[in-house]
Amino acid sequence: MLRRLAATSVCLTVLFAALPARTARRPQYGGTLRLDMGADLASLDPAVATTASEESAAKIQIDSLIYEGRNPDGSFNGAPGSGPFKILSWEPGKRATLQANENYNQGRPFVDSIAITMARSVRDRLLDLELNKADLAEIPAQDARQSAERGVRISQSPPDELLALVFLDDRPAASDGRAREIIGQSISLAIDRSAITTFLLQKVGEPAGALLPQWSSGTSFLFSTSADVPRAKELWSQITPSRNIVLGYDSADALEQSVAERIVVNAKEAGISLKAVADATNKSTNVDARLMRAPMISPNPATALNGILQTLDPLGRGGFSAKPLRESSSAQEIYGRERAVVDAFRIVPLVWIPRVYGLSARVRNWAAPAPGQTWPLADVWLDTDGKSSDLKDQ
Amino acid sequence: MRSRLRLHRAAVLPILIGFWTFAFPQLARAQATSALPKSWNDAVAELAEKIAAAASPATPVRLELRNISSLDASYAAAIRAALVNDLRSHSFRVESTDTGDLLQLTLSESADSYVWVAEMARKSQDQASAPTIIVAVPRTDLSSNGAESQSLSLEKRLIWEQPEKFLDFALLNDSTSSNPRLLVLGTNQITLYKFSDAQWRLSSTTPIPRNASPSRDPRGTIHLKERNISVEGFQCAGDPDLAGTVRCDATKTDLPDLSTTLPERSNGVGTSVPGECRGDPAYLHTSEGDWTQTDSIQGYLMKKIPLPMVLSGDPIEFDGPVMSLQPEPDTSAARAVVHNLKTGNYEGYIVTATCSH
Repeated sequence: MLRRLAATSVCLTVLFAALPARTARRPQYGGTLRLDMGADLASLDPAVATTASEESAAKIQIDSLIYEGRNPDGSFNGAPGSGPFKILSWEPGKRATLQANENYNQGRPFVDSIAITMARSVRDRLLDLELNKADLAEIPAQDARQSAERGVRISQSPPDELLALVFLDDRPAASDGRAREIIGQSISLAIDRSAITTFLLQKVGEPAGALLPQWSSGTSFLFSTSADVPRAKELWSQITPSRNIVLGYDSADALEQSVAERIVVNAKEAGISLKAVADATNKSTNVDARLMRAPMISPNPATALNGILQTLDPLGRGGFSAKPLRESSSAQEIYGRERAVVDAFRIVPLVWIPRVYGLSARVRNWAAPAPGQTWPLADVWLDTDGKSSDLKDQ
Repeated sequence: MRSRLRLHRAAVLPILIGFWTFAFPQLARAQATSALPKSWNDAVAELAEKIAAAASPATPVRLELRNISSLDASYAAAIRAALVNDLRSHSFRVESTDTGDLLQLTLSESADSYVWVAEMARKSQDQASAPTIIVAVPRTDLSSNGAESQSLSLEKRLIWEQPEKFLDFALLNDSTSSNPRLLVLGTNQITLYKFSDAQWRLSSTTPIPRNASPSRDPRGTIHLKERNISVEGFQCAGDPDLAGTVRCDATKTDLPDLSTTLPERSNGVGTSVPGECRGDPAYLHTSEGDWTQTDSIQGYLMKKIPLPMVLSGDPIEFDGPVMSLQPEPDTSAARAVVHNLKTGNYEGYIVTATCSH
């Protein structure tokens, strides 16, 4: 390698003499980044548990800004303020101000501070972005297109959250193995995933037939996402006596509600008796299946698959993640595990959803984080020159 | 200016052809699309073996290719041809007509590798699952993925600054220690800092013996992989590593300085960085100018055909001249020492190059 580099140097010595120099815009230090979030956090102490997934995710994001690093087990190391930012002020559940850590060992962040406003509803976040009262806010995927049309800069990650229909382990629809499989397969075949993606998600996302997205595993094309209503009808006719399936969804999740209603329509077209019920507590005993979101926790497909199955595991009573894959599992092994789970029809993948962020015109150096990564706010800088025509968001 | 540029390029062409063959043999090979990299051939052989284990060669097969990866058509065709050859060596008859059993080869890709999938045709509707054979193929062998929209994106991070001149610096990563350590190579001493209580704290200093004829332009490099330091006629080694006790001995054979000084522009320096963008090796180079001027670092990509060397992405600017530019081992980054003309301080930056859209 050294020899190679040395040879490279020799060539560069000659070659670079022919290259012109160029100037470019520089990152700017300073300014306050205004961040809206939906969660209302009572504490930033990693030891204090949160109940809602939104709060838990937001807490991880902020803790990653004030702690030096994160251990593989998810805990944070260092003292508060050892990360790129320090806590300047804190009003539980309302707002917080983080100040740039001048002594951060990876280099001082570009912005001087981050002003965080908590407990902002989706509507308020979108309004703040439109009115330039916020620089950064996560927004629902289904609102991305409309927000862009209203002039909000949109940044989105690769699709990294699975919305799936999961059959509960202890419900009648799941009690008889063969019947359960047929019910799951017929419902899966009845669902028009393309319509969900096109109309409900406004083409932000992609139909899911597998437990990992194509960009991660490279094999999701092997799983069909097409609806086959005649086949669904044929399978459903084998269920005797006919069942009434109850599908639960989180009443606080607008996307889940619209997807559940769409599935009811699809099921009806296939002659399947299915009704959707709101289940805010996620603990109703009267549902046969639930809509669930499962985020990827890592870009590594094996780790991501383990995480997804673990997320869905409470509904499957430990059956989904009984055999976690090794991180170094081969593509064949990962595909085999996916195939086994999908073909059991206990989990019916529906759509892959990206994380979507709204940005103000002055935000620079922002890249939507990949699975397992946190917001790169130490790298973000604010352009006060007002030139935003050349923005390229990821 | 334009004609001068061409003259330079013409002059270096023979040198570069020789260099290219020496430095990047795998890329030179990839120019001939009929010859696949070894790991790709291995993957094709693995596919053929698994197909042979799953199917009988008694029935002819009809191989269909689907490419949903970023590989260009010529590579896809070469992979198909290689698989046909390997299947024939396993006694399969690969037909071009519609008579054989369908064997679907799909070239796909995951987040970190190519994924090649062979699907055997189902014999009937009742056959629930036909064999699906999957191999992952390292993407590192890619020489051209057609992602023409990608470019080098540079980012700098200030790691250290001090009023006294220093020649190089290095962050020492040690899995056994939770505290990061910073090694600063000054003109007359080597200083080790440990990060504690949110700041770098002095840990130890090692004086560097003075050369009998000290230079007004001293050079020094920390060789992280070799765990030693070369500076002005001395080579310093650590016991057990550079974070331990450092001893300097006079030497006549310094390790090669991996940065480059341009003969016509004495303040310009450049270095290669590990990794590729669009399948092309990446380089960083400062702009021209002397020590009284601001400076920048620009990314370049060297095309597979030796010329041209092209600008890629935007440069990053500094408030003073870049005095030293050294590659960071195993990462697509370089260490830059900058003399900040506004503050008068010397600053150490990590400049990271990423390939992005």
